Amino acid sequence: MATVTIKHVTKAFGDNVVLKEFNETFGDGEFITLLGPSGCGKTTMLRIIAGFEKPTSGELYIDDQLVSGGKTFIPPEKRSIGMVFQSYAVWPHMNVYDNVAYPLTIKKTPKAEIRKHVERVLEIVHLSQYAERFPNQLSGGQQQRVALARALVAAPKLLLLDEPLSNLDAKLRESMRFEIKEIQRQLGITVVYVTHDQTEAMAMSDRIFLINRGVVQQCGTPEQIYNEPANQFVADFLGKVDFFKGVSANGRISLTGMNGQSIAYDGPRTGKVEVAVRPEKLYFSPDGVLEGVLESQYYLGDVDDCRVRVGDVLVRVIANGYEYKSLHVGQKVRLGIRDIMVFEDDGSLEQMLKIQT
Amino acid sequence: MKNAVAMQQSIGRRDRAPVVSKLILALVFVLGLVVIYMGYTGMREYGASGFSAESAYSAIHALGGDTAAAWQKKLQPQLDALSADRRAAVDQAAAELLTAAWENQKAGGAADAQAMLDAGDGETAWKLLYATYLVNGPKVSTAIKKELAALSGSELAETRVGLLNCIADESAALPKAAEAAAGGLTGSERTAMLTQLLFVANGSAEATDQVNVLKKGVRDKAAQLDAFRMIAGNEVSWVFQLVVSNSRTAILVGIILALDALLLTLLMMGDKTWIIDFKWIIILLIVDFLLLFQLMPLIYMVIKAFFPESSFSLETFKRLYTYPLNLDALKNTLIAAFATMILGTLLAFPLAWLVGRTNLYGKKFFRALFVLTYMVPPYVGAMAWLRLLNPNVGTINQWLRALLGLSDAPGPLNVYTLPGMIWVLTSFYYPYAFITISRAMEKMDPSLEEASRISGGSPLKTLFTVTLPMMMPSLISGALLVFVSAASCYGIPSIIGSPGRVHTVTTRIVEYVSLGQQALNDATGMAVFLMVMAVIILFISDVVLAKRQYITVSGKSVRPAIVDLRAWRVPLTVIVGIFAVIMIFIPFATIFATSFKIDIGKTMFAENNFTLINWTTVFGRTETMNCLKNSLVYASVTATVGIVIACTMSYLLQRTRIRGRKIPDFLITLGSGTPSVVIALGLIMTMKGNFGINIYNTAYIMIIAYTIKYLMMGMRTVVSAMSQIHVSLEECSQVSGASWLRTMFKITGPLIFPSIAAGWFLIFIPSFYELSMTTLLYSSTTKTIGFQLYEYWTFTSQPMSCAMAFGILLIVVFLNFVLNRLTKGEFSI
Ligand SMILES: Nc1ncnc2c1ncn2[C@@H]1O[C@H](COP(=O)(O)OP(=O)(O)O)[C@@H](O)[C@H]1O
Ligand SMILES: [Mg+2]
Repeated sequence: MATVTIKHVTKAFGDNVVLKEFNETFGDGEFITLLGPSGCGKTTMLRIIAGFEKPTSGELYIDDQLVSGGKTFIPPEKRSIGMVFQSYAVWPHMNVYDNVAYPLTIKKTPKAEIRKHVERVLEIVHLSQYAERFPNQLSGGQQQRVALARALVAAPKLLLLDEPLSNLDAKLRESMRFEIKEIQRQLGITVVYVTHDQTEAMAMSDRIFLINRGVVQQCGTPEQIYNEPANQFVADFLGKVDFFKGVSANGRISLTGMNGQSIAYDGPRTGKVEVAVRPEKLYFSPDGVLEGVLESQYYLGDVDDCRVRVGDVLVRVIANGYEYKSLHVGQKVRLGIRDIMVFEDDGSLEQMLKIQT
Repeated sequence: MKNAVAMQQSIGRRDRAPVVSKLILALVFVLGLVVIYMGYTGMREYGASGFSAESAYSAIHALGGDTAAAWQKKLQPQLDALSADRRAAVDQAAAELLTAAWENQKAGGAADAQAMLDAGDGETAWKLLYATYLVNGPKVSTAIKKELAALSGSELAETRVGLLNCIADESAALPKAAEAAAGGLTGSERTAMLTQLLFVANGSAEATDQVNVLKKGVRDKAAQLDAFRMIAGNEVSWVFQLVVSNSRTAILVGIILALDALLLTLLMMGDKTWIIDFKWIIILLIVDFLLLFQLMPLIYMVIKAFFPESSFSLETFKRLYTYPLNLDALKNTLIAAFATMILGTLLAFPLAWLVGRTNLYGKKFFRALFVLTYMVPPYVGAMAWLRLLNPNVGTINQWLRALLGLSDAPGPLNVYTLPGMIWVLTSFYYPYAFITISRAMEKMDPSLEEASRISGGSPLKTLFTVTLPMMMPSLISGALLVFVSAASCYGIPSIIGSPGRVHTVTTRIVEYVSLGQQALNDATGMAVFLMVMAVIILFISDVVLAKRQYITVSGKSVRPAIVDLRAWRVPLTVIVGIFAVIMIFIPFATIFATSFKIDIGKTMFAENNFTLINWTTVFGRTETMNCLKNSLVYASVTATVGIVIACTMSYLLQRTRIRGRKIPDFLITLGSGTPSVVIALGLIMTMKGNFGINIYNTAYIMIIAYTIKYLMMGMRTVVSAMSQIHVSLEECSQVSGASWLRTMFKITGPLIFPSIAAGWFLIFIPSFYELSMTTLLYSSTTKTIGFQLYEYWTFTSQPMSCAMAFGILLIVVFLNFVLNRLTKGEFSI
């Protein structure tokens, strides 16, 4: 329904540059997630799209129409966008019906039509029987759905959501995830979704934009981002990962501090490298490539979270829960590796992983 | 080992505790009832004996040696000099006045008076009136006293004769000196005022000494007994005499004992362990203090107003509110308060919005400036506006006349009118609304407004459909605060209203009080009106509105969305700037400039018009220094007592779940919501010995009044500071082995010190420049700087009072600076 094109957008508050050179296009009907640690500039980007902040430089187009940039600035009320705020921002002095009807009332839509639309969206968010209630009589999850209904009622071409689930408890959060995704699929609208929760991002998005310190680190589908991280930060932010230093030569990487043990590598990098391994991609196997001693073991039910000492280095292994019984601390083990990610070691790891808040 | 023993002991105590506690409570309760019964019997016997406390009271003084001497020296010759028919007429007037006054005091009082008049000669009525006057002190407004004192000996003699003539004959022309005071009055009110004036005209230094001697005499049982004998004409047993003269005290003590026992029982019933907690004793002490000095006077006043003759009657109200002057006062008060509320809120809302939510230039500066007005004494503002808008010599009027080419006739603006008063009230009270509204505005979640914008609402639409409705409870709260403050303000109407004969309820109350004992009942009738209004409004804003409060005042700070004014930024900044110049800069500059002038009609820079003499004179006088010292001492004591109670209350409210902790909290809130004049009047009526406590004309009565009025300011500050400190900080210290006391001193104390200091100053500053209560409670030795300033303004010279006003301002600003430093910038007013 709508595309969003962001060209060279930079945003600074005083000297504090919070967004650097944002250059992306969000496609029609896409579910886009802006993901990143708190304070990285996600909300700021969303507010620029909504029109609550002006970019310091750069241009923003919605459907090829310039909305922010240069001398042009179209205020939020003229952008036909729906938005759900982190605090829900449900007006306490209006009941659910009036809250949801507000965008249509502003447009001076005929009463009967308003009723039709409001009833329809309340149906979608399962709040039909709460129309007469006031917000202080609703739970957090219900308020959140009122906010969603209000954002949807005027059939916007673009829906912005700022951490809409972060104030809900874990169970509700999970079910709302699918509801939001379902609504987006039904209505086919473009969604820009902000979160710092990687599982949420993975579960819902068509494409994820991973941001750190105001810079997009990588954009791609959840699989791409998880399996082919562009750099150590991305690898670290999504899922669990251990970094090992090593030297790559002749199709093998010899790992530093692991008694000279090495692993096979057929990638292009040579010289000093950093190897990132996800603990769930390691497994216990008699013919594994690394040899070490099982140092500790935490049984978590579905999985078995183990630490194995290989030379001087501790390696984390997430093994299947049913292997727990056959292992005991102090035992010699061999580890097989399903997959590794190899980055050039330019000494920037520390710096890169540091999260600015 | 030690612990085990202690535990055993405490278990043992636990077993016995319920029985002992219940026994103590029952005992105290029964004791209370017995004392009440004794007091009640005394009262009844006393009533049956045919004379009232007040009549006996007055008579004692009529009979005191010194009084008799003064009487013979002063009034007697004047009366004797009258012609026979005049003499008969004034005696008749005095007798009527006395009868009316006593009828007011007590059922059947008129009959008592009549009996005494019948027994005595023509002079009896005069003697009794004169004695009453001496005891109650000259409460004629200081303006009039001053005027009378300025007369020469022969003029004074003439005035006395004139006054007596007027008392005898209502149509006689008033002496010049009495015109201002008695001009608008008729009937008995006129007679009462004229009599007072006559007494004042007879007054001299020796009168003060006599009053002191007499007051001691009142407390002297022997003198009292004498008086009883002589008036009643029969013998009185000492038991009877003791009960009679202490019956009210007995009832009061009994009620307090019984109430305490009852309260404690209620608290303990909920607690079930029946162990008397030390904290309850503290709560009871605070509650008793407030019951005695705050609630009892108020209740007594209400009773006096509705039961003027010990049976229910609306006579007082009927009489009061059919009297045109009072009706006017009532109308003026309501109109002024309402107009001030509307104007003040209309000013405050846009200002709060501009300063809090837009990119106005210099908004921090403006904010500080508007809040600053909050700590300026209202009468200083009134003085400034008088200087500017006086119809003759007001600076603005002079400019306007020059600008518009008008003749030198007075005008075009006149501050001595109702609109003038409304303007000054507004200029002083709009900050109250400003502070309430801007606090709420800053706490409002900006995404509520953004949600409206993104839904398609323009900024203006958003203002009306979201911002305003959300702010409404705070807006109404602020408006009501302005209403009640304006209605109970005394400083401004007394300075602006009196010369223009614009009476208000507060000025009428003070006038009634100045008429002496017999008019107190009438003052009560007016005060009850103010009090009921204040209580209703307090209820609305604390209970009704608090429930609808959308904006939760949480510690969470929000970054308010800033509206870009764009093209309006410069013009609006200019408008706010002009407003600030008119409301703040010009008035203060006027006060400052006037203090250096000889002729206030000319500018400071006119030839030979600049002088330092006002400053040197005012601050060179020992009297001024004494007043300043009094103010500093009273305010320091008030602030210290207040902050101790405030800290205790904060601890009880924030750190304990003890039952009953809300009771003193409620009383303190009620006290701060009661109009100052009402508090003072209540104290006057109950604290001059008639209930066993005589602190009338002392510093204590003033300190108590200040404490009741301003305690809450300090308490709120400390409470909110304590609520910010998480209990875990204290618990952590205690877990580390520190004692409770050590924890309080090492952890809690330092953390809330800035708030304690702030609370202290918040009580100190208003007590320092207080005027309304002081006007009613001062005596010649307990004058304060605020009252001294008021006297200077009314009788001495405006330039000198401006010097004094500026001095007060400097002190207040300096204190604010100290506060700011002491709390590292966290607090200032
Ligand atoms: N109005 C503002 N003024 C100044 N700094 C701001 C403002 N809004 C956000 N920031 C700063 O910009 C950075 C990014 O903020 P934000 O976009 O809210 O991060 P998040 O990714 O957590 O949503 C933060 O460091 C924040 O302090
Ligand atoms: Mg955010």
